[in-house]
Amino acid sequence: MGDPGTLESPQTTLSEMHDHPWIVVVHNDPVNLMSYVAMIFQRIFGWTRERAEKHMMEVHSKGRSVVWSGAREQAELYVQQLHGYLLLATLEQTPH
Amino acid sequence: MYFELSESGNPLFSKMHPLLAGMLQASALDPWERYPDGSIRLLPPPGEEEELCRDWHDFVQPGLRRHFDSERAIVAEDISLMKQGKGKTPLWSLEIPAKHCEAWLTTLNTQRLALATEYLFTETELSEKGMPDLSSERSIALMQVNFFAFIQECLVQVLMSEIADPESDQA
Repeated sequence: MGDPGTLESPQTTLSEMHDHPWIVVVHNDPVNLMSYVAMIFQRIFGWTRERAEKHMMEVHSKGRSVVWSGAREQAELYVQQLHGYLLLATLEQTPH
Repeated sequence: MYFELSESGNPLFSKMHPLLAGMLQASALDPWERYPDGSIRLLPPPGEEEELCRDWHDFVQPGLRRHFDSERAIVAEDISLMKQGKGKTPLWSLEIPAKHCEAWLTTLNTQRLALATEYLFTETELSEKGMPDLSSERSIALMQVNFFAFIQECLVQVLMSEIADPESDQA
């Protein structure tokens, strides 16, 4: 797992991350505008502009960014929201 | 073409060439009918797990598609109110009610994604900044993707100005 500071959203507690190691990943696609992706991150996760842009740049440069981790049910809801905004998002279980 | 905020604070695109107006009007058409292969991109799988993908297909994707369709209906309504000027080459204008910006962003995104997937545009093609090429169906589609991106960028700027930054709130 990368920098935990970039994974944890205000709603995620450490124990949730430990007990339910599901992550939400946003993947790069060449069509969605960078400004649009950053705006959606701000809207869904309530992030600052700076944090949203950091993840957006990670998607752009590395091809993917882990935007949330925690319980599976919540991860599914986030993926559904991200799909509603037409971002390429998946949920994955982190290795035990 | 010009972009500004109207007196009532709505995004306003004016002096739009008929070719661009025609492209914009086409954004209200059903992408599933127009780009049957490309529209696959609009409902991506949520992961690799088979059961999850099955459930997603049965329970989530129909709702997403209804959402995209209803956003497109809002766009169609705004397009029906586009105004055409007079003269030899009558230019068009479009005012988007601020509360419809979301619907426009979603609808333009569905069209761009479906078009890009249908025509298999590469990242390089999508980022090329040359003169528009109208010599083939494919190059017109690329122009359409880029034109819609411009409209989206304008709308994102309008919406971003309304989002309060949590950090600046605390200051």
